[in-house]
Amino acid sequence: MSIRQRIEQQPSFVLHSYPWRETSLIVEMLSRDHGRVAMVAKGARRPMSALRGVLMAFQPLRVDWSGGGEVKTLVRAEWQGGQPLLQGRALLCGYYLNELLVRLSAREDPHPALFEAYAAALAELARARSPSPVLRRFELALLRELGYGIGLDVDADSGEPVDAGAHYLYIIEKGPVAAGADAADARAVSGRTLLDMARGEFERAETLQQSRDLLRRLIHHYLGGQPLESRRVLKEFQEL
Amino acid sequence: MSPSALDELIEALRCLPGVGPRSAHRMAYHLLQRDQPGAGRLARALERALAALRHCERCNTFSEETVCRRCSDPQRDAALLCVVEMPADLAMIEQTHAYSGLYYVLMGRLSPLDGMGPRELRLDKLLARATDGRVREVILATNFTNEGEATAHMISELLVPRGLKVSRLSRGVPVGGELEHTDSGTIAQALVERRSL
Ligand SMILES: [Zn+2]
Repeated sequence: MSIRQRIEQQPSFVLHSYPWRETSLIVEMLSRDHGRVAMVAKGARRPMSALRGVLMAFQPLRVDWSGGGEVKTLVRAEWQGGQPLLQGRALLCGYYLNELLVRLSAREDPHPALFEAYAAALAELARARSPSPVLRRFELALLRELGYGIGLDVDADSGEPVDAGAHYLYIIEKGPVAAGADAADARAVSGRTLLDMARGEFERAETLQQSRDLLRRLIHHYLGGQPLESRRVLKEFQEL
Repeated sequence: MSPSALDELIEALRCLPGVGPRSAHRMAYHLLQRDQPGAGRLARALERALAALRHCERCNTFSEETVCRRCSDPQRDAALLCVVEMPADLAMIEQTHAYSGLYYVLMGRLSPLDGMGPRELRLDKLLARATDGRVREVILATNFTNEGEATAHMISELLVPRGLKVSRLSRGVPVGGELEHTDSGTIAQALVERRSL
């Protein structure tokens, strides 16, 4: 491409970075108005580089970049502050969110609402005692924002509103259908869970457990069955 | 056709981090044209290091002995174990002359998105080392990056339930540092981690 774009002061988060050449980094950035963007941060690994401490994941930045190709050139990055550093379990959860974004979102496909959902999830992770509701809310927001149309409050067979007292089986790419005789199926979810999810309320114990399994199935499907490294790492850790 | 000796050298040099085809060419020509004695020394040193070096059984850093000299030094306090990411970090702490305990070198850090997990880091080996019965306190001196923090968190979650005292290097404004010239991230965290006097 010959168009040399220059983007300025774009709200962004570092999702991942890895070494490039002797002193540089390639950074996968999630930006508010341009989606996920890869850029090279020249000299960012030099000991005295001002970028070194700034290009930290989970911290809100304002970023300038230029270039029209697939990999842009980072021109400037400023730390915005206001987001406490993630620590402990919240930090491991943060890696999970980043891996979801890197694996599921397409490059340069802007989703300002997804950016806001991500920023909100990080803020909540830093505060919340239990990360689970935060993770579930973000997973659902991610799938919906990427256009996977996750129906929750309408029975996909009958077209009737989901009944809080009934049980449903969730058919991927279709939606919930009345479980009928399969209500005892381990994968059946209660109507109450589906309605809670539709409202973004994940505090109830049954909702938390059933939505976790359901969202995991959906994510597994949209990842084409490829396992997530951050989940493997967490699992190995729990087995030590 | 097998590649020429020159091509093979250039290709071999590219295994160094950050060395692309152009730098590899430059290095190969330099070694062969301008510094043949240097090239010979490099070849012999590499061969010797490969044959002689292993990981110290106790601290995991490179050593020619099964247990390195530092780990077998009776003057060092075996109740203290300092965990660092890389040998360079160990060298920095040694330079302070402020620490007389022993070390464990992880040879890396946790990085979930790069597939670096507890298995790749061999945390089971650290666990065995820290629970040898003599270690009382483990000092986590991994970097203050997200990866270093995540590594420290996992290790503390492993060791605290086993009755070990676990501490973390503190962070803040550098010694001799003026606030005006300190980056905002450091000041923000120093405020969060302020201590009462
Ligand atoms: Zn040793």
